[in-house]
Amino acid sequence: MDDDVTPRDTVAEVDATFRTLRRVAVGYFVVFVLGVAAFPVLSLTLDWWSSARLVGGMSPGFLVAAFGLYVFFAVLGLAAARLSSAVEHRMLGDTPTADDDLFLDDGRVP
Amino acid sequence: MRGGSGLLAAVLAAAWLLVYLVTQVLVAPPLDVAATLAAGLVVSTVVVLGYPSALRGPRAPAGRTARVPRRRSDPRGMRDGLTIAAAGRSVPLRNGLTPDAARRTAQLLKPLLGGDAVAITDTEQVLAFVGPGADHHPVGGALQTRVARVALGKGRTVVVHARDGIGCPEPDCPLRTAVVAPLAVGERVVGTLKVYRTHDEPPPRVLVDDMASMLSLHLELAEMDRERHLAADARLDALRAQINPHFLFNILNTIASKSRTDPDEARQLLLRLSDFFRYAVRQDGHFAEFSQEYFFVRTYVSLEQARFGDRLKVRYDIDPQVLTTRVPVLVIQPLVENAVKHGVADSVTGGTVHLRARVDPLTRTTSIRVSDDGVGMAPDVLDRLLAGTRSPAPGPGAQHSGVGLGNISQRLDALFGDRYTFDVASTPGGGTTVDLRIPLR
Repeated sequence: MDDDVTPRDTVAEVDATFRTLRRVAVGYFVVFVLGVAAFPVLSLTLDWWSSARLVGGMSPGFLVAAFGLYVFFAVLGLAAARLSSAVEHRMLGDTPTADDDLFLDDGRVP
Repeated sequence: MRGGSGLLAAVLAAAWLLVYLVTQVLVAPPLDVAATLAAGLVVSTVVVLGYPSALRGPRAPAGRTARVPRRRSDPRGMRDGLTIAAAGRSVPLRNGLTPDAARRTAQLLKPLLGGDAVAITDTEQVLAFVGPGADHHPVGGALQTRVARVALGKGRTVVVHARDGIGCPEPDCPLRTAVVAPLAVGERVVGTLKVYRTHDEPPPRVLVDDMASMLSLHLELAEMDRERHLAADARLDALRAQINPHFLFNILNTIASKSRTDPDEARQLLLRLSDFFRYAVRQDGHFAEFSQEYFFVRTYVSLEQARFGDRLKVRYDIDPQVLTTRVPVLVIQPLVENAVKHGVADSVTGGTVHLRARVDPLTRTTSIRVSDDGVGMAPDVLDRLLAGTRSPAPGPGAQHSGVGLGNISQRLDALFGDRYTFDVASTPGGGTTVDLRIPLR
């Protein structure tokens, strides 16, 4: 008989984790859509977005298209991945603070 | 500011500064004021809503999360323009009669009491001595002066008009007159406040007397604080010890049964049982990360599910942001336990326990709701649970002894004062809902 007993997560726990991760994904997707959609909206509604000059003679819209969006995507992706990983770590499996040397020989807690 | 509000405010200020620089300073022409304000509001909203998950920062490792209470500003820094009322409010003795607090208090009071030297003692030793004579009245040394023993013995203020009355054994002691007032907690004398002068006019007795009364009041408050903390600790210990032996017996019987029919599940249950008790005894603070409390809850529920089978269903609805918040320990599991014991266990068809946890970033609160669709509780059972008392009669009614919601409520009182809400609603046949809202930490 195999002596390694790995704790199994129950169906309810996995289901809860799935729903929480789905909430994370939906939340970040909404942020992504809003961030991307803001670019054409600003281009159409705000002259300053295209005509003003920020650094190097570039307009705010150009700067965002050239650099800002990539930074936005990277930050958003990293944040989503980090949060999803943290959620899974905290909602499934063993407790993060569990360790084995919990009791002294006389049964007391160290 | 508490609960990371300072960090949030700093991030918001930095965001507004960035918006201002980008839209008004570094750009030509600058953006309209209205559009700038709109951009600032959008950025602020994103920051506030995202703060609980994105900006809370790395958490300290377990065991290092206890916060060190912020020290009050050094009272010596207030010396310019210091009044007796200001000194009274900032007396370090508010934290108890310790050598450090006594030293800082003596330094604070010396310019106020019109003496050349100020000493504070307990009933046995000198805790602080500031001024001439400190060389032979060492801190930590036994009480040398006769006048201190007289004040301690009689519990009254003593005024000494001549050097001989002080009774210092050191022949070269420069102290000539003194007023010694007892410090008392209730009726019990716990120390003295001594004000000395090096000339023949004794310090003003009324002033020293009044200050000793003020210090006694602070010591009394410190004692009450200590007792309040002890009571909160005792309530937590009581809750830890309140793990129902029936629960343990039932689980062990279930495991014994499963060990024959399903050894793998029996071993899983033993692991879960081990985790359950490990968590209950390992918590040494009043707060834990929600994810740890959640682990405790699902450990408990999985054990109960082994006993109840399909009759007990559970549905967790957890906000991602709530996982890293800090909540009072051993609060959620008793709520779930009550839902199982009083809602589902008595129902022939079983029921579903629903645990819902949310963070509201705008009101900076964490809300936890535990509900069930079981048989509900009769008003008398609910009252008994809220009062934290056990069922008076043994037998079937004894199963309602349960975990006292009163205990939880008292602990929340001690931890949050009036900054929390704890609502219980139950109707026979309609299930029970417990709503808890606590400040976000």
